[in-house]
Amino acid sequence: MIAVEGVVKRFGAQAVLNGVSLTVAPGEVVTILGSSGSGKSTLIRCINGLERLDGGRITVDGLDVANPRQLAQARRLSATVFQLFNLYPHMTVLRNVTLAPEVVLKRPGAEVEAEARALLASVGLADRADAYPAQLSGGQRQRVGICRALAMNPRYLLLDEVTSALDPEMTAEVLAILGRLVSAGTTMVFVTHEVEFARRISTRIVFLDHGRLIVDLPTDQFFADAGGMAHPRIKQFLSKMTPVGGQS
Amino acid sequence: MPFDLTVLLPHLDALLAGALLTAEVCALGILGAFALGTGLGTAATAGGWPGRLARLYVDVFRNVPFVVQVFFLYYGLPEVGVYIDAFWTGALALTLVGGAYASDVVRSGVLAVEPGVVEAARVSGLTRLDVFRRIVLPIALRTAIQPLGSIFVNMVLSSSILSMITLDEVTGMAKGVAAQTYRPFEVYAFLLVAYAGLTYAVSLGIGALHRHLNRHMVAGGGGRA
Repeated sequence: MIAVEGVVKRFGAQAVLNGVSLTVAPGEVVTILGSSGSGKSTLIRCINGLERLDGGRITVDGLDVANPRQLAQARRLSATVFQLFNLYPHMTVLRNVTLAPEVVLKRPGAEVEAEARALLASVGLADRADAYPAQLSGGQRQRVGICRALAMNPRYLLLDEVTSALDPEMTAEVLAILGRLVSAGTTMVFVTHEVEFARRISTRIVFLDHGRLIVDLPTDQFFADAGGMAHPRIKQFLSKMTPVGGQS
Repeated sequence: MPFDLTVLLPHLDALLAGALLTAEVCALGILGAFALGTGLGTAATAGGWPGRLARLYVDVFRNVPFVVQVFFLYYGLPEVGVYIDAFWTGALALTLVGGAYASDVVRSGVLAVEPGVVEAARVSGLTRLDVFRRIVLPIALRTAIQPLGSIFVNMVLSSSILSMITLDEVTGMAKGVAAQTYRPFEVYAFLLVAYAGLTYAVSLGIGALHRHLNRHMVAGGGGRA
């Protein structure tokens, strides 16, 4: 379980996260919604230890991410997919996927490579294994990013606006893959602007506003008129999100 | 006197031996400067005292004439009981000054590595050393390698100063041959060509390394298995 307890994160005088609490149990797909600057991405970056907390506590299966040794363990349990892919530009697609399983998990190279090739094939990139990231389209890069994360067999998949840099067609490619992962029972924390997609796949929706978690509800309750929709901030947010096809 | 290269023939062995010595001392100096520059350049991106120390080192060695550093190492250090022969003094001096210049180039290369890529490596669980060795350094070097090449070429040129500490590298040899033969024109023409050849070899090597490090930027290359 990922447990976020009263987390505070400040950049200078501004509190980007202001007492956020949240749990993600195995099998859940928790979507974090909120306008830009509400602290969604920062929350993900706190969970995977890229940001130091100014208050509160985050544990991943009991491992405290503020403790360097426990963070190293926690990082083996979760994997992150990034908005701007962040692939290793000097390595082939295959190497991007095999690096961490080989080096961090110390698994045998041949086994890791076979798995990586299977993963790439499952996202339609079997023939791009030896290409470099610069030779791929954005959608292809993000599919590699997903494979790189999945190659670690993570218990928790953290997705940080993974389609925000993609055009509608590429967004559809990536969402289709995420949809399959959800069906397979992957636990996810999903930061996104794709409200419709979130509604289809999430077990729970969390809404952040100015660093505060204002709503945490099961998906159908969130979208019910008496639930999240009753909240003026959320109503306002959703009214601006829905009409656009794909991009937000 | 007409231009007559045959006057060099009896001294060709000596001149070539000098060129070989130049190549050797420069090869050592370049390897040393690369290692030192990588270490210092990386340290300079860090905060705290390692960063300050690295920047201080760079400032000191870039602001003292090379010949003064060489004299200090060769004539100064024996006074305090440290004696290094001319060849190793040369290699060391080239390392120390080349490392200072290389450090700046490596530092900017490291700073230019996209933070997101480093973050991806960190969250994947790689140790700090692995993140540096496998991600930061190779990416930094692909932009740094060409400016490093000009530093290495300059080191070859600076190595001519080592003739002043009795090292029989190619400039030292040429001076001797010119004095013996009274044919400075031919001798120094040879010297010009020798340095051009040596620096060209360095440039060729750097070019090959640059292409290797940037092979992923070649459009279409490696696209299919």
